Amino acid sequence: MIVDLLVEGFDSALLPCSFVVLVPGAAAVIAARQESTSAFFGFSIGLVALTFLRFSGRGGDLQTGFVALMLAVAVVLLAIPLVRRLNVVTGAGGLLVGAAAGVLWEPCVGIHFAELLNDLPTSRIVPGVALLAVYLIGVLAPVIALAAVLYLIPNPTLILARPVMLVIGCGTLAVLAVATAAGFSDDVISRLVELSVA
Amino acid sequence: MSRRQFLAVMIGLAAIGGLVAANLTDDDASPAALPAATSADAAPTTSVAEATPTPPDPLAAAPPVLGTAGDLVGLDGWLQTDATQFSDFDGSVRVVQFWTFSCSNCKNTLENLRGLYDEFEPRGLEVIGVHAPEFSFEEDPVAIAQAAVELGVRWPIALDTDKTNFRSWQTGRRFWPRTFVLDREGNIRFDRIGEGAYDELNATVAYLIENDSDRSS
Repeated sequence: MIVDLLVEGFDSALLPCSFVVLVPGAAAVIAARQESTSAFFGFSIGLVALTFLRFSGRGGDLQTGFVALMLAVAVVLLAIPLVRRLNVVTGAGGLLVGAAAGVLWEPCVGIHFAELLNDLPTSRIVPGVALLAVYLIGVLAPVIALAAVLYLIPNPTLILARPVMLVIGCGTLAVLAVATAAGFSDDVISRLVELSVA
Repeated sequence: MSRRQFLAVMIGLAAIGGLVAANLTDDDASPAALPAATSADAAPTTSVAEATPTPPDPLAAAPPVLGTAGDLVGLDGWLQTDATQFSDFDGSVRVVQFWTFSCSNCKNTLENLRGLYDEFEPRGLEVIGVHAPEFSFEEDPVAIAQAAVELGVRWPIALDTDKTNFRSWQTGRRFWPRTFVLDREGNIRFDRIGEGAYDELNATVAYLIENDSDRSS
């Protein structure tokens, strides 16, 4: 079951359905630059928590206005370490982005993830969260790779310099926040999918 | 986390990734080695044994009533049918599936659904594909109709372009695909998130068709 979920998660990372999770995740770790691991761990915790609440029917189906606010606050938190390195703040920013992604995500469901989702409302919390986390490790493989690359590059070049990355990452999140508030975040993700397919 | 610890974590993840990749390669190879039991236009990427239609034996007992189905409202229209509203199918056993044509997990369910449709449509089953597009390129009715032909979707398609029904039928927990079976009174007798549970789906339909056969004509 665990290996099957992980494999299916890896499979799903390549599907357009997962862009709603992958785009904000990538934007958060890009914005965080060398604190990318803090942003990633925060993102993962927020994503697992909110997806578990929603998919288990225990809550978490927040209004889009609130989700937009979470993204906007995250942009500010991720931008703070530009002037003062503070991993906790970056992690909190990542957590908010992950939580927002967890609310917006409407996944395509393969056979093993389906088994988990159909059992999730009646499952105990710890095993349910653990299995969901296993699946999401697979889905987030591209973000894990990106976070690792950003962390391991020792001397930022001009292109990878923090301010440039911050503008790309926070800019993407800000666009998502505005689009979510206006009710067309689907269209933004859709456009990104079309661009990536092209 | 020190750089050394971080590298250790990454090496661990890479090892897991390697194992998974090897597993993926094996999975990809196995369907090709099997007899041509699947159609070329919708070959499942998961286990062929899971996706191949099985002879539907009816359930021994009546499937439980899980709730009452709502209406399909605010549609952009219908494809492949003369129906203009969901109530045109009232009185029939119905399989209602929320899907979208670029969703690979949705495609993986179609082979079983085709088998079910071929078996039971002459006996009163209606299959209704509610097309709820995830992306804007999936909103074009011409593209949907073309995809339906390519995927072998021969049953009526309701166009839920703004996902009104996708959301109202799946409060809080929304997924592609989602498959419901409704009895003739409009009660939900089967509800499945995602792929799989084909035997249960088929048996539920078989039960509902066979146990209400006096009312189907």
